[in-house]
Amino acid sequence: MMRIVRPIAFVWLALALLMALELGGAFLHAGHVFGGFLLVPAGVMVLLVGFFFMRVQRSGGLAPFFALAALFWLLVLLGLDSMDAMTRTDYPVQATEYP
Amino acid sequence: MSGAHLHFQYESLEHQSDTALDGMWLFLAQEVLFFGGLFFAWLLCRHFHPLGFHRATQQTDLLIGSINTVVLITSSAVYTIGLGFIRIDDRRRLVQCCVVTALLGCAFLVLKALEWKVDLHEHMNPGVYFGLTGADAGGAQLFWVFYWVATVLHAVHMAVGIGLVAWVVHRARKGAYSAVWHTPVEVVGIYWSFVDVIWLVLYPLIYLVGRPG
Repeated sequence: MMRIVRPIAFVWLALALLMALELGGAFLHAGHVFGGFLLVPAGVMVLLVGFFFMRVQRSGGLAPFFALAALFWLLVLLGLDSMDAMTRTDYPVQATEYP
Repeated sequence: MSGAHLHFQYESLEHQSDTALDGMWLFLAQEVLFFGGLFFAWLLCRHFHPLGFHRATQQTDLLIGSINTVVLITSSAVYTIGLGFIRIDDRRRLVQCCVVTALLGCAFLVLKALEWKVDLHEHMNPGVYFGLTGADAGGAQLFWVFYWVATVLHAVHMAVGIGLVAWVVHRARKGAYSAVWHTPVEVVGIYWSFVDVIWLVLYPLIYLVGRPG
């Protein structure tokens, strides 16, 4: 029984510690930009769940390929869409003069 | 025993199991892009309205959000332990783990409903009666639109997951799973952990990122 429970308990503990880390970070007075860094522990947590609970590496067939494809297209979606919005220069609309 | 589970179109149980797992992973790949659009909306709106998002985040219930995160992490861990038990043919412990998982899922939804009630009481619903005013209210409303869409969509996925875990319990009690054949238990486990993964991303986006001052 312990052989089954122990490794999962360690992963749970790691997840709880990472959650405590991001929760603690939320109370730091480090400015708005720092808030984005709170997504780093969340990313590690996602990887832990993917590898130890969903066991993507042990799923046979095309499962790892599908998981990588999902990440790739998510990055394309977020990257390309953000590129337009975040590099756009807004110009004020000129007042139209009617004859 | 194994022959009873093998469908005619597969050459072996392993082939059948791989196909089922692949099907779930393919479904989850499109779910990633489905939620990806939502994450992009958050990214874009926060870029243009950082102060509104900062102000709106202060209004969220960090305590309930954090408890719910622990509840979901625990539920995924318990289900994975149950999966370990069926691999050694321990059906009784699989059922126990699945029941605990489903109860934790129900606890998540109850807490979420309580949180929604508080949010509505404080008029955190975008529209005419929105509870925040001032220059940043527009950005704050966008945050709360994201909040409602994301949390309701996630709750729907949770409800589906609880139904699937209950189905696994029902089938396991009838002796449908063994050390040789338990692919449906694995498939449901992957879905349940994916719902957990989505929450692990939503948790900082909703409750944490806008909080540091």
